[in-house]
Amino acid sequence: MNEKNIDALLSSLEQLAAATLAALAAAKNQHELQLAFAAFLGKGGDFTALVKLTGTLPVDERPRFGAAINVAKTRCEEFRAQRQSELNTAEISHKLASERIDVTLPGRRGFIGSKHPITLVSEEICEIFTSLGFGIAEGPEIEKDFYNFEALNMPKDHPARDMQDTFYISDEVVLRTHTSPVQIRTMLKEKPPVRIIAPGTVYRRDSDITHSPMFHQIEGFLVDQHVTFGDLKGILHSFIAQFFGKGVNVRFRPSFFPFTEPSAEVDIACVICGGKGCRVCKNSGWLEILGSGMIDPEVFKSVNYDPEVYSGFAFGMGLERVAMLKYGVSDLRLFFENDQRFLRQF
Amino acid sequence: MIVTYNWLKEFVDFNFTVEELSHRLTMAGLEVDFLEKIGEGLDSVVVGHLLAVDPHPEADRLTLCKVDVGSEVLQIVCGASNHRLGDFVAVAQIGTVLPGDFKIKKSKIRGVESQGMLCSEKELGLALESEGILILPAGLSLGTSVFAALGLKDARFELGLTPNRPDCLSVVGVAREVAAMAGQSLRLPTPVLSESATASTTMTSVTIENAEFCPRYAARLIRGVKIGPSPQWLVRRLESVGQRSINNVVDVTNYVLMELGHPLHAFDFTLLRGGRIIVRPAAEGESFTTLDSQVRSLKSSDLMICDAVGPVALAGIMGGENSEIQPQTTDILLESAYFNPSAIRRTSKRLGMHTEASHRFERGADIDMVPLALDRAAALIVEVAGGAVLAGMIDAYPQPIEQRCITISDRRTRQILGIDLGLERIEQILTSIGLTVLPPAIEMEHNGILQVLIPTFRPDLEREIDLIEEVARLNGYDAIPETMPVSRLVNQRPSKRYQLAEKVRDLMVANGSAETINYAFINPNVWDKLGLAADDYRRNTVQVNNPLTEDQSVMRTSLLPSLIETAARNLSYRSRDLRLFELRPVFIPRPGEDLPDEPLRLALLLCGRRDPDGWAQGAEQVDFFDLKGIFEEIAEVLRVPQLRWQMDAGEPYLHPGKSAVVYSRKQRLGVLGEVHPQTLAAFAIESPLYVAEFDLEALLKVAGHFSGIKPLSRFPDLTRDSALLVAEEVSAARLFELFDKVKSKDAEELILFDLYRGKGIEPGQKSLAIRVRYRSPERTLTDEEVNKAHGKLVEMLCKELDAKIR
Repeated sequence: MNEKNIDALLSSLEQLAAATLAALAAAKNQHELQLAFAAFLGKGGDFTALVKLTGTLPVDERPRFGAAINVAKTRCEEFRAQRQSELNTAEISHKLASERIDVTLPGRRGFIGSKHPITLVSEEICEIFTSLGFGIAEGPEIEKDFYNFEALNMPKDHPARDMQDTFYISDEVVLRTHTSPVQIRTMLKEKPPVRIIAPGTVYRRDSDITHSPMFHQIEGFLVDQHVTFGDLKGILHSFIAQFFGKGVNVRFRPSFFPFTEPSAEVDIACVICGGKGCRVCKNSGWLEILGSGMIDPEVFKSVNYDPEVYSGFAFGMGLERVAMLKYGVSDLRLFFENDQRFLRQF
Repeated sequence: MIVTYNWLKEFVDFNFTVEELSHRLTMAGLEVDFLEKIGEGLDSVVVGHLLAVDPHPEADRLTLCKVDVGSEVLQIVCGASNHRLGDFVAVAQIGTVLPGDFKIKKSKIRGVESQGMLCSEKELGLALESEGILILPAGLSLGTSVFAALGLKDARFELGLTPNRPDCLSVVGVAREVAAMAGQSLRLPTPVLSESATASTTMTSVTIENAEFCPRYAARLIRGVKIGPSPQWLVRRLESVGQRSINNVVDVTNYVLMELGHPLHAFDFTLLRGGRIIVRPAAEGESFTTLDSQVRSLKSSDLMICDAVGPVALAGIMGGENSEIQPQTTDILLESAYFNPSAIRRTSKRLGMHTEASHRFERGADIDMVPLALDRAAALIVEVAGGAVLAGMIDAYPQPIEQRCITISDRRTRQILGIDLGLERIEQILTSIGLTVLPPAIEMEHNGILQVLIPTFRPDLEREIDLIEEVARLNGYDAIPETMPVSRLVNQRPSKRYQLAEKVRDLMVANGSAETINYAFINPNVWDKLGLAADDYRRNTVQVNNPLTEDQSVMRTSLLPSLIETAARNLSYRSRDLRLFELRPVFIPRPGEDLPDEPLRLALLLCGRRDPDGWAQGAEQVDFFDLKGIFEEIAEVLRVPQLRWQMDAGEPYLHPGKSAVVYSRKQRLGVLGEVHPQTLAAFAIESPLYVAEFDLEALLKVAGHFSGIKPLSRFPDLTRDSALLVAEEVSAARLFELFDKVKSKDAEELILFDLYRGKGIEPGQKSLAIRVRYRSPERTLTDEEVNKAHGKLVEMLCKELDAKIR
């Protein structure tokens, strides 16, 4: 066998490597790259042929040639990997480029449910008071005269009954005119301390643009030793700050309820005009939102609490009224018309 | 109650501006509902002198006037007919804005220029009603402001009084409050009477037969009066507080009513048979004609003022036609009495009569005011109607009442209010509104207690707490510092029922439904619309005795009628896709109980598309299974065990073939289905509706608890599909029940993934495509063992269901 000249072989190797790199570089896709790689580096490829010539070299020169082949091969293989990755990226980019969607098309959706705005304000108020340690109680909507009136210091023939036009079921049974009977029911069952918030449906025989014969109230009361009018102010102010926002002006104004004494109406600065005077606040700058007061000793007597030991406060507000203020609803009737276009805005 | 600024000034000195006074009244508990400033911005309404009153050339009813307003002579067209040449009139000049935002502009009326307007009292805000234009006293200085010239600038306060304050149903009563605010004293009127020589007792007498209903009755006789119109000042005063002038004598009684708050009545003495007064209860069934010409049927609980023969007035409410002041009346018996509040209230309520007098007596008039009011009125009558007052007041007062005495302690005051005012301040406050603090006994002083005498004008002050309220009110609620209560903690989670309702409501919102709130009272005709049988339990309702309308006359026993009505309303508004629910109580009468049961119900209603209209969503319409799915989800979340669906709800308002009753074991939970076409027609609805009503109380009973998690298998699953041909009658429930019974232990779940009828399937048959998932918790299953298990399962199903494999 002719002993080849190593220089000639090295030169062939170099040419081969250059040709291989050129072919890999020229491949336009994965398939061409595969073909080019096989032609040079696969079984029966040109590199394999060249490796076979190693045996024609003198023994002491073979390692040098072998090393040169490995270097060339590694270079080519690395280049192939690089090309493969490049082509891959290009192909993915090409594919994605053809797959554009109009992202401004509306999404695929179902119906979104909604709670009634009265439920929403009721829940929010309950949440504020439960976080202050109040429990939630309920009572019947059809109520005995005793719970609705008598035990609340409104005996029959009392002029205060004129404040509430009543729907009667019988002489002794009424549609409750307020949530206050829950006070009586709770206090008859439990001993102080009691802290209760009681949302509920109430009824008054009055129907016009600003009165609904059925509406909602939320009642709250707290009874313990040493409860003061100052505490009433503190709790209600804290509630108003939570519900209507900090910095809303509040005023407590003397009023009368048969079941509290002293009694106070609570006004907030008109949320519509900020107190300057507008149609909603009848130019007074104030909105009446709560009735409240210290629980009357007569009420304590009717539930067997000792008024010398315990004191407490109670308050109530109309949920429609606060919902109207909170959501800017100007027509009371919307709450009971149940127009889905209205309901689904909440 | 209406009071005016100027009238208050007669009884108390104060320097508050109109706005200050309004604010202070409100903050003292006398809420000013409405404030009207009379004459404000009306300085350009000036005194004018009519130099000419000629007919309008183009209109019969109009006059063309020349008016001298001092600086110039104006030409004004006037539509009134009561003005004459030489009259002094009120001229609103160009630019004036009269009450009611009525701006006076230069204008042409029927072709003639008019340079202002001649005003009526009504137009100037001086009276609620008036006829013709205001004719001023002659000789006023031309061109000066009418309001200034007549001293008419005033402010009218409309007070929304609470029922505990009858003392403020008068100008003097309000003035007493103002006096307390201003730190001034109240000046009561001090009438001076020059009585004639004849003693009234020689001519008349008063007998009280029922002193409980009428504790005091005083009277005076005035002879020789001349009935006629009232003087201008009296008319104007009454009009300023919204009262209409009638005649001089009646006007005086009304004036004193407004001034002192004490109702009075004037009888024509000559019409009193026997010339005397007897106060007694009515005879049962007796009839009586009141001043307003209404015939009243009386009961023995009604108190009457009678003469020697029969009733002449309904005590404390209204006089009688038979003894009314006539134009020719000359002799008057003037009544000033005090009646029992409850007695008056019972009668006025029963007869539906609410008068200025009854309003005050019901709330409690001032028994000590009886003589002053009587003398004040007698003096005024003589002043405006002439005549002479007979000597001596007849004052039947069998059992003079003693002033109430209450104690107030500074300790209790501090305890309730949370502020330490000190006895001295408390005393100062209480005396400022006319209460008398008794000089302290030595031991009392040490105890920090005041003894307070309550004048009869404050019937509302009965207990210590009432005094504490006065102290708080007059010291100002603003002055009480805000604190937070200190109280023991109590564990008080809401009831299970409340929590369940909240959870169900949240689930309904989560499935896309909108919550509704409908009136709890309905029209009983809805039961006919639903087609309920005559003896259906839902027709047994709680009825409202005094409903506003038939539509709100019975309490609902089902939520569905109102929800269907709500759907009809929404459909009429062109909202076609509806998902609505309501979660509220219904009212079921309980035999032998005063109060009905109020179980919570959930009603829901579906209509229209399953998904919102849009390119990305299908256009399928909802059906029974949307409804059922909603309930299944709720039941699953609440861990309700073993739901069972019974075909045909048996409700007349539901489609018999597309409705069901759902049970959990034996507990009936509710009904659901497509609304019957006849019911749809009864509610005038054209689209198919799906409705359901569930009993939350029943759900509460069957709702379960979390019972621990199931272990998860880490091994792969294998699924096998099969299609079973079965008869139409075979229910899906039967398939699932059977699966649960016969499945091998590694059969994890059965999914019914297709239901097919039609081409390739014989009529009366259907194809159920099922997929069974097999998975073992312990190992990977092989194809062979799954094939074997599935084959066996299908074989069993075929046998039991009489099915074939398709």
